[in-house]
Amino acid sequence: MQSLESVQITSIPVAPFIDDAPEIPTQPIRWNSDAYYKMAEMGLFEGKRVELIEGEIIEMAEMRSPHITGVMILGNLFTEVFGENYCVRTQATLDLGVESQPEPDVSVVPGNLRDYAAAHPRSALLIVEVSDTTLALDRSLKASIYARNFIEDYWIVNLRSRCIEIYRKPFEDPNLGFIYSERTVVGEQQSVSPLARPKAKIKVSDILP
Amino acid sequence: MQIIKERNKAKPEFLNGRSAKKNGEPHGIRWTVDEYYKIYELGLFYGRRVELIKGEIFEMSPMLSPHATSIRLVYEQLRAVFGKGFEIRTQMPMSFSIRDEPEPDIAVSKGSVHDFKESHPTTAVLLVEVALTSLRFDRAKKLKLYAENRIEDYWIVNLKQRQLEVYRQPSGVNDETFDYAEKLVLGVDESVSPLARPKAKIKVSDILP
Repeated sequence: MQSLESVQITSIPVAPFIDDAPEIPTQPIRWNSDAYYKMAEMGLFEGKRVELIEGEIIEMAEMRSPHITGVMILGNLFTEVFGENYCVRTQATLDLGVESQPEPDVSVVPGNLRDYAAAHPRSALLIVEVSDTTLALDRSLKASIYARNFIEDYWIVNLRSRCIEIYRKPFEDPNLGFIYSERTVVGEQQSVSPLARPKAKIKVSDILP
Repeated sequence: MQIIKERNKAKPEFLNGRSAKKNGEPHGIRWTVDEYYKIYELGLFYGRRVELIKGEIFEMSPMLSPHATSIRLVYEQLRAVFGKGFEIRTQMPMSFSIRDEPEPDIAVSKGSVHDFKESHPTTAVLLVEVALTSLRFDRAKKLKLYAENRIEDYWIVNLKQRQLEVYRQPSGVNDETFDYAEKLVLGVDESVSPLARPKAKIKVSDILP
């Protein structure tokens, strides 16, 4: 039997005093992409439209006709404008890291379809969100993750106000985090050109459903 | 599985634990208890302490010693005051609804341990939360949940300010109005009697570590 003196007592960490206790508020659980895809596989998102954004699973209302139409119009338009060496994706995943796996309504990426057979693209030349019920989300959380990932050209088709909001020049503000410093609103009578296709003039009225 | 510690400090406060808006706007996904258990079965809660409140999964921060000690002190005091006929549980689930399964620090329910063999208690004569890092949450989200479920006697042991907060007379008809009409704050020199045991006196100093 071992005598007590020969037993080595390692120091036990002392719990913090009450005053030093960190103010870690109880938070909604955060998920990573691994967990998110496991839940999807398990069928937990059946019948729901969801995206993983900054660790939170966001649920959106089912799309209505104007939204669907808006997405399809853009899909066709951009295919024409960008041509062969680009791939126009609609509601397909953009891999923005372990916390964010958004599915932008329209994204334009270099290359062709098969380039992304094995993995989702991690950036895009242009992203467009068609906003019916999601305007606040698209202007805040989505703008934030797209800016943080230096998506240079981000448009929001504002169905309710019938205009297009163009966000450019992403940068990191010391107080606000990642934002777009340039925001332009273009109305029905005007035209827009993607940064990657500056010569293509697309009428806003041709984009709006 | 990677665990993400820090939120993007400037993340727009879009969701902030908001429950779903009824007008079809995006919101954090909400789960039923069945789905919550499926997520558990996927092993996605490994190493985390979670609760389900209003369909949202919240993660509790790791338990510090003062918190644990206070729970034990409260338990011992209540066990002495509530004899046979009451089951006292610490940090165990309560079944309030299809989307609510909180884990109060201490719950005193009528009945014996056998009454809860098949399912968790659905109500309690007294609930106690010990607050070290969770004060805001306990005073807001949990308070509303307990008022909604007409928990007549709800206490918060406020470790930082060394006081006992007593909430009684649950009222309200919806999320905006659930509240307690009677709120008392008792200091270290004072005593409290559970509503269900009005003759018993528990000193506040006996439940603070």
